[in-house]
Amino acid sequence: MSDSKAIAIRTENLVHTVNTSAGDLSILKGIDMEIKEGESVAIVGASGSGKSTLLGLIAGLDVCSQGEAYIYDAALSRLDEEQRAKLRGQYVGFVFQSFHLLPSLSALENVMLPAELSGDLKAREKAEGFLKQVGLSHRVGHYPRQLSGGEQQRVAIARAFASAPKILFADEPTGNLDAETGNVISDLIFDLNRSLGTTLVMVTHDATLAKRCERQLIMSAGRLSEAE
Amino acid sequence: MKLALKLLFRELRNGDVMTLALAMVLSVATVTGISLFIDRLQASFELQSATLLAADGVVRSSKKLPNEWQLKADESGLNTANRAWFSTMVFTEAGLQLSQVSAVTKAYPLRGEYLIDTQLFGTGFVSDRGPAAGEVWVSSRLASLLEVEIGDDIQIGEADFRVTSYLVRDPGSSASAFAIAPRAVINWQDLDKTQVIQPGSRVRYALLMAGDADLLQEMQEWVTPKLNENQQWRSPRAGGRGIGATINRAESFLLLAGTLAVVMAGVAMALASNRYVKRHLAQVAVMKTLGATPKKIASILTWQLVSIFIFGSLVGLLLGWSVQAFIAYSLEALLSTALPEPGLGKIWLGVLTGFTSLVAFCLPLMTRLLTVSPLSVLQPMGRLEGKTLLLYVFGFIGMFALMVIYTKGFLLPILMVLSILIVSVLVAGIGFVLFKLGRQFTSGATSGWQIGLAALHRRLQSNLFQLLVFTLIIMLVLILTGVRSNLISDWQSQLPEGAANHYLFNIQQEDVARLQGMMSTLEIEESDWYPMVLGRVTQINQKGADELFGKGKEKPEMMSRELNLTWTDTLGVDNEILEGVFNPLENGFSIESKAAEEANVELGDEITLLIGGREYTQKVTSIRRVDWSSMRPNFYLILPKTILSDFPTNYITSVHVANEHKQAFYQGMSDYPTVSLLNVGDLIGQIQLIIAQVSQAIQLLLGFIVASGALVLVASIRASLDERLEEGALLRTLGASKSLIQQAMLVEFGFLGVFAGFIAALAAEACLFGLQVYLFELSASFHPMLWLLGPVLGFVIVTSIGLFAGRSVLKVAPMRMLQAL
Repeated sequence: MSDSKAIAIRTENLVHTVNTSAGDLSILKGIDMEIKEGESVAIVGASGSGKSTLLGLIAGLDVCSQGEAYIYDAALSRLDEEQRAKLRGQYVGFVFQSFHLLPSLSALENVMLPAELSGDLKAREKAEGFLKQVGLSHRVGHYPRQLSGGEQQRVAIARAFASAPKILFADEPTGNLDAETGNVISDLIFDLNRSLGTTLVMVTHDATLAKRCERQLIMSAGRLSEAE
Repeated sequence: MKLALKLLFRELRNGDVMTLALAMVLSVATVTGISLFIDRLQASFELQSATLLAADGVVRSSKKLPNEWQLKADESGLNTANRAWFSTMVFTEAGLQLSQVSAVTKAYPLRGEYLIDTQLFGTGFVSDRGPAAGEVWVSSRLASLLEVEIGDDIQIGEADFRVTSYLVRDPGSSASAFAIAPRAVINWQDLDKTQVIQPGSRVRYALLMAGDADLLQEMQEWVTPKLNENQQWRSPRAGGRGIGATINRAESFLLLAGTLAVVMAGVAMALASNRYVKRHLAQVAVMKTLGATPKKIASILTWQLVSIFIFGSLVGLLLGWSVQAFIAYSLEALLSTALPEPGLGKIWLGVLTGFTSLVAFCLPLMTRLLTVSPLSVLQPMGRLEGKTLLLYVFGFIGMFALMVIYTKGFLLPILMVLSILIVSVLVAGIGFVLFKLGRQFTSGATSGWQIGLAALHRRLQSNLFQLLVFTLIIMLVLILTGVRSNLISDWQSQLPEGAANHYLFNIQQEDVARLQGMMSTLEIEESDWYPMVLGRVTQINQKGADELFGKGKEKPEMMSRELNLTWTDTLGVDNEILEGVFNPLENGFSIESKAAEEANVELGDEITLLIGGREYTQKVTSIRRVDWSSMRPNFYLILPKTILSDFPTNYITSVHVANEHKQAFYQGMSDYPTVSLLNVGDLIGQIQLIIAQVSQAIQLLLGFIVASGALVLVASIRASLDERLEEGALLRTLGASKSLIQQAMLVEFGFLGVFAGFIAALAAEACLFGLQVYLFELSASFHPMLWLLGPVLGFVIVTSIGLFAGRSVLKVAPMRMLQAL
């Protein structure tokens, strides 16, 4: 890993607490980390250890209780929701465990969505290109309910890369798929990641998948440590 | 905008957006349909009244009107005409006759038409202008009395006129239906030639105006301060205050009832929006992760709501317009009377209703989408958070504001809200007990009965809500059906087939038998013949009106004018003795109940009558209820024969003359020039038209209410559809057959419908009691049909729509459903 690379994600003493009926619950207890541009990082840990919360905070989906998270040089807690949304549109792509495709839109329209939201006039050509890259050029007009789980995740991946994100966040991307399909999907994510030079941050339970990342960070009881 | 519309259109396939749009269409259509229809009703009434007045506005005076008034009206762009009328002797070689003569300018009448004929006692044809200079039109009665025909000359004052037509209807004389004196019409140019008008002559002048309502209003405002005590402004509205007020009340009633349709549609909108929002929270969260800013989401939602508003308003307006046009068309065929075209001025009411419904029921829910956190894509939310109270407040304020606009006041809306609250509490209480009982009697899940009744209890809150909605809808349907049948039966009883349309009076004793013979020959139905003398009530229990009611205070009608008095051997069928005994052979007066009530007269009180200069004092021996609408002669007081036999009497009767007999009847009547004839057929026609219109409007309303109720049912079932789908899938996975699930749904919806119908029948019976007693002034009656109709209607409607809306519970494969969980 070259030191000249810019830091894509950085956190400083990141703390997150939520109010529950039983009182305040501390989920993240002071996380400090850096992820450089182009790196692939897996965050692993037991259920309830705070992986998804961390992902949400560093992706700008939520605001931390204390400390700070940065995407490039942007301090996320100092931005309002409008600015964070713009930043997500510009820098960030997501792949989710349960695909989260819009059921009323076809595969092509789902992939076009990020570009359409940002007002890109070439949304259709770009989307068609990415669907081709994920091997679904023959399924462009199909709706999510007409696609298998693996196909739906491929559409989700095409959608995530369609906005040319600098960082791709993946939350258990193979969690809802059988092993064989899961392998195909993970290959696809890593291939695109490499070819487009995207930074990859992946939350997963799957040790094999985690090992394919350059770094593995272990989340345990709200604290983060680097795997040896 | 493009993206917003794409997402919206794609959602149409899913029922929520469709429900939302249909509810919007129904809201707009209901209010548009009612308001346009009522507008036509009002316009029709005003046009008819204007025909009676021959103008849209008239200034009447006992002195010649200032020229500047005419100039002002002409300059402002109003059409004007003049009329003067007076009583004078008309001469021929054969003799002379007192008659009522009108002189009219060329433009007269501005509204309505003359009806004239070349045949004596003909039924007439239309003429839109009056007689030319030198001509006179005379009524057939006058022609008979003067023994003149068309082409003969008659003399009015100092001028000679040629008879050119027989006058059948004079549109400007508001008393034309009651005209007793024979009539003649001449041209205004000939007025001076007659030299009839001298200082001190009793002449009435009228300046008639017609045209744009605003110009007329301006003229009225200009002229009113200038009017002295001998001058009056008359307009169609003021002229028929009674009917006008009735139509206004009908409009308030219909719109208020329509409000329930709007509220139902609003509830459907809220339910559909709620489901839409629930289903889209995750989607909006995903869009936010993809870079959609809150402003972008707001813009997408706004465009979607605006599109629904535009679609709902346009289709709703079109539907509302079409439905009222269809009803007007069917009325036209039924009554051979074309209604005036509706004004477009009331369209805003429908659009406002749609907008308010959207803002009150839809917008607050939709704003939840703006606040959904993008984090929810990673950490699914629990229950949808929301400021529920605020949502209810929004909905309530919106609907209350509409009710206030519809009824132009606060009283009726407050009463309606209170009624809904009372019914809600009643329904919640009864429903809770019924659902609990249903659960108590069943345990286990082996039969459709058990599963269905258990579901009623399990979804207690939503089922109580549905129960309330269905109860309100069925109740309103039952009430409106009851009101409509009351109206119709009231109308039929008032104006039965063959109801009298002419009164004959001033009939001499010696003419009675001959006239009866003529009626029999012409097969004309006649009512009883009553002798009649004029008299005045001077005292009650030896006390005069001033002493009884205060000097200068308003007196009861019975003591404020001369009364027609009669005697009879037997009471007419439209008289019912309430107190005392009617015995024509014994002394004592029989008094009509309302007159007795107004004058505080009770059985045994003494009434003193002054007849022909002689006083008679007798006790009240019976009090009668009289059906004044029977179109038969009736009297406040019936006297013993012993009194009336002292006086020369003439007779009165009423007859029904069918259209085909009219000409023969009028010709026959020319042999009885002294008999006065009063044609009330036009009046009956007007009443029939209004009742038919209101009755049709109720039918229109019923259609809209049932449609919006059905929409609420569909929306509320869809709101619990996800839960039902899960349950259905689980039951089927555990081995339940489709028919068992179908049976369970049938039980659930069936009971819901029957319960709602039962409670609705109870509430409708109570409401109809109030309406019958206080509004229609009828005796209260029990409606056994309601108790049958309510539960049956409830069962049929709720189960059929329920099974239809929930059909996917049976269709969707359990595997697919469980995968989606």
